[in-house]
Amino acid sequence: MQTTEEHLRALMIDGLDGDAAAHAALLRLLVPLLRGFYRRRVRGADDDVEDMVQDTLIAVHTRRATYDRGRAFTAWLYAVARYKMIDHFRRVGRLRPIDDLEELLVADEFETSSIAKLDIDDLLEQLPPKQARMIRATRLEGLSVAEAASAEGIGESDVKISVHRGLKALMARVQGAMR
Amino acid sequence: MNTDDLIRQLASDTRPVGRNSVARRLAIGIVAGGIASALLILASIGVRPDLGTAMQGASFWVKWGYTLSLSIAALMMTAQLARPDSGRLRGLWALGIPVLLLAAVGLLELARTPSSQWLVMWLGHSWKSCPWLVLSLSAPIFAGLLWSFRRLAPTRLRAAGAAAGLSAGAFAATVYCIHCPEVSAIFVLTWYSLGILLATLVGMLVGPRLLRW
Repeated sequence: MQTTEEHLRALMIDGLDGDAAAHAALLRLLVPLLRGFYRRRVRGADDDVEDMVQDTLIAVHTRRATYDRGRAFTAWLYAVARYKMIDHFRRVGRLRPIDDLEELLVADEFETSSIAKLDIDDLLEQLPPKQARMIRATRLEGLSVAEAASAEGIGESDVKISVHRGLKALMARVQGAMR
Repeated sequence: MNTDDLIRQLASDTRPVGRNSVARRLAIGIVAGGIASALLILASIGVRPDLGTAMQGASFWVKWGYTLSLSIAALMMTAQLARPDSGRLRGLWALGIPVLLLAAVGLLELARTPSSQWLVMWLGHSWKSCPWLVLSLSAPIFAGLLWSFRRLAPTRLRAAGAAAGLSAGAFAATVYCIHCPEVSAIFVLTWYSLGILLATLVGMLVGPRLLRW
């Protein structure tokens, strides 16, 4: 059985209609996806990963009413997963001092990064929507090519091509503006 | 707990979820809170005695039109922010329409009133208490919305809190109309809106704390 966007989405919708077997199958399929998602972002700390996976499964179950059947399931899933990761570190951070926290919180760095983000938003708006979405997913939100592909419901090579073309177009535009 | 056991336990509680369950949940929360606010008015400051006749006049409906349409626009924002993948908000401009329309009515009123009466019209009898009453009446409604959020998944907690506060404030103002005898549009535009704005600010402040999940 393949874990594609369509497959997961079909299971989710069956679960929403009250099919417990489909719901259980969905949650089981999510475990390796979520482990991969968190492992790539948290080095070491397997306990943390398993905690976050379980928290996310519980959230997927209790908050499933917020999934809109007309939209991509994986985008919803990773939004929940990302929130749970931030929440996890907020909770853990309160109990245990994090090294270099001050550096992370330096205000002017935050400011430059938000200004840069605004510029990026402006630039991305000029691209075809698909290229912009793929660049956002892989380069800004930190999804892997495979995750972005299944979120969009397209092939991995398609994602790579979109990102490549989009970046090339942006590069041309930025250089043109500087000249 | 073992992840497999967890999944088994979660799946054993698979109840069907309706298509519009986010909207339904928010509606239940806001209406239940609104009923509580109305009861609060009945028990304390009372309904205006001339409510029946007032409902035949235009100024009552101008007020209601303003607060009710603002509630609906705010609730639509809240519903978007209740989903984790809310993305860019759509329809934010709709919040401006009631304000602009009411401002237009207010200008018309001012044009037809001698300027010596403007201050009286603007301050009415209750400008000091009106914003605070709207803010107080928004509390039960905000509590109702917090109940709604217990099964929802906001990821931008400050924005979601502000949207819930705005909805609660605007709906509280709608309920407050059964008590408030003021008639002028500029009164409503200033003092009602101030109360609604205060409720929004409170929502924004407590959102990150109360909407966590």
